[in-house]
Amino acid sequence: MSVRLLVLVPVAAAISLALSAVVDAVALPLFLDTTGTILATALAGPGVGIATGVVTSAVNTLRNPTFWPFVVVQIIVALYAWAAARAGLFRSFRTAIPAGLGLGVIASVTSTPISYLVFGCTTTGGIALTTALGRALGLSPLGACFFGSFVSDFGDKAVTFALVTSVLHALPRRTAARFPWALRAIGAA
Amino acid sequence: MTRLHPFTLLALAAALVALAWLLPAPGGGLATVAAALGLAGSRGLRRGLWPALATAAPFWLFLFILHDVPTTVALGLRITTMVASVVWLVAVLAPARLVEAMVAAGWRAGTAYLFAATLSAVPVLKARAQRIVEAQRCRGLSPRGGLGPRVRALRALALPLILSALHEVDERALALESRGLVPGARRTPLAPPPDRGAERAVRWALVALCVAALVWRLA
Repeated sequence: MSVRLLVLVPVAAAISLALSAVVDAVALPLFLDTTGTILATALAGPGVGIATGVVTSAVNTLRNPTFWPFVVVQIIVALYAWAAARAGLFRSFRTAIPAGLGLGVIASVTSTPISYLVFGCTTTGGIALTTALGRALGLSPLGACFFGSFVSDFGDKAVTFALVTSVLHALPRRTAARFPWALRAIGAA
Repeated sequence: MTRLHPFTLLALAAALVALAWLLPAPGGGLATVAAALGLAGSRGLRRGLWPALATAAPFWLFLFILHDVPTTVALGLRITTMVASVVWLVAVLAPARLVEAMVAAGWRAGTAYLFAATLSAVPVLKARAQRIVEAQRCRGLSPRGGLGPRVRALRALALPLILSALHEVDERALALESRGLVPGARRTPLAPPPDRGAERAVRWALVALCVAALVWRLA
């Protein structure tokens, strides 16, 4: 890994963690905690993306210990973002947002067993309350847990993909060309 | 405790969490939570015990809403062990000592850099995000109203933050190269934490304990 790509990992991980301040300002029910992972993957490929996801989870764990078991989700997000970048799905919102919705489904399927077995679906207040709503609607415990994860992940990943698409298109071409995957991700190479 | 080798501190916290899940509830959970809260409490009420209890409390509430009492107790004790172990670890483990220990143990300097650089970059970017929020508000951006205005405000706030961070990548890379951090280069730690034989034995004993618990539960 070159020094530039090595530097990209902590910068992207810090972006994921610092975006919480922006989310607080606009008061939207979003996490955006995979933004750095998706961005690093779209810029530099799956190795850098996976490293960013692992570092993000590790550093986030120091703030909230419940994040570490979800490192698997970060790795799957990186692999999915790599496939999206290879297919040039970051070329416009019309392709990126459906791809983000697809990731929302995959992320909630992946996170449900972890949330159910390790935390009893109490990972965050929002997930716990939507899980309780699912139970009230007559869903099974695992089904209600999936419902809670799905509600929180579905929109979040679509917004994250749209945000990363905005960033990739706003980057000057000369800067983007320094990263191995950036131009391909936006369908310009 | 802070004098212990960073790997010993990590092994203690990891073993407590592993044992909380491996040992049968509620006895196993009670034992591990007592040990973890004891460790957290050793750092004082404000730095250790209170943050651990305050972080674990919402989980107990949500578990109580979603599950029956035996499940709430079993999962709650495990989660509290995890929370208290990490709170204690954060209080006793200095990141700089961990980096020195990793380099001394033969880890690549780049790997050690990843964690140290992220830890130092997060507060810098959070402060910058706050400045961007204030600057955009001065320009008339309103992060309130319906969903559409809020999403547009999100883009107006997040984009400058992310782009400014990406523009720093080249500067940071140049700074690292000028300090000799190139792929494959070996670093010499300035003050590696002493790793005594007794501590290495304790770490292996903790690994053996966790493996024994796993085998016992699977048998």
